[in-house]
Amino acid sequence: MTTLTTVASLIHEVIGEDWDLEEEITLETTFSDDLELESIEFVALAEKMQVTFGDDVDFVGWLSEKELDEVIHLKVGDVVEFIDACRT
Amino acid sequence: MPHVVANGLELHHQLLGEGGEGAIPCVFAHGLLIDNLSSWYFGAAPLVATSRPVICYDLRGHGLSSHAADGYDVATGANDLVALLDALELERVDLAGQSWGALICLRVALERPERVRRLVLCEAPLPPSRLEEMAGVLSADTDDLLEMLPESLREAFTSGKRRAIKAASRLQRLLTETSLVADLQAEGDLPDETLGSVTQETLLLYGDASSCRSVGDRLAGLIPCARLETLAGGHYLALERAPEVGRLILEFLDG
Repeated sequence: MTTLTTVASLIHEVIGEDWDLEEEITLETTFSDDLELESIEFVALAEKMQVTFGDDVDFVGWLSEKELDEVIHLKVGDVVEFIDACRT
Repeated sequence: MPHVVANGLELHHQLLGEGGEGAIPCVFAHGLLIDNLSSWYFGAAPLVATSRPVICYDLRGHGLSSHAADGYDVATGANDLVALLDALELERVDLAGQSWGALICLRVALERPERVRRLVLCEAPLPPSRLEEMAGVLSADTDDLLEMLPESLREAFTSGKRRAIKAASRLQRLLTETSLVADLQAEGDLPDETLGSVTQETLLLYGDASSCRSVGDRLAGLIPCARLETLAGGHYLALERAPEVGRLILEFLDG
């Protein structure tokens, strides 16, 4: 599995039965506008990523360094890029 | 999701940071109704977690904690928090709370002083009726309540999309299917002598544009070891001014 497919499946798990998007998750998908992810769902996603990718991927620490505006416009691709950077 | 069973409820919590040997953990409590642990978790908490373990938890009926039909009063909230500390085997902690969460932290500090080293009260509303938003809460009308919120927060409930629908239905449930409104209505002020008996060093954080602004002065005058910091902002200070709030809490707890 690529990092993108793994992240996409974690997003599916978090959104669960509410999942009504027909469109596939791509690197360009935004968490806020496209996925309508709630902040508490973002917490759940951060935890799943930590479990899946290990402690080297400090997602919360990474997010906390960003301005609110950057977080709101975050794309799936930004997260994938961050994870890949942590693991190389 | 990490949950502990406390007072018969599953309380969702998240641990941040590991901290040095012997560092006192800090537990963060959020506000009522529209809030959950994410406002601390993605806000001030990560900075505070650079030098100690930090625990953010969801109050009963909020975030990913169990739904609860009743127990939204401060005393029950304080019992929940102590039960959380017990379940996580945390003997002694620092407590930081926003709004209603601050009232819960204050109650624990008063009733279980041996468990609490330092206290951070962010926008604690005393009496709770001082809060302008309370009028909307007490009318138990979602529209009235939303009207009271800053525009940036109101938008999150009214876009008509998935996230807003979920948030609005959660709000509706708390307002109409639980004792929350009645519990808030019944919650009184704390007498001056009670506030004067707080033993912990206390940091008070208030927004200069908040309807609770003058509560900060009152608490600063009554709590013996208190310091008041006023920031530009309204009642939702922990969210609005997260970096500054985080820095002030970190300095206070490290000092």
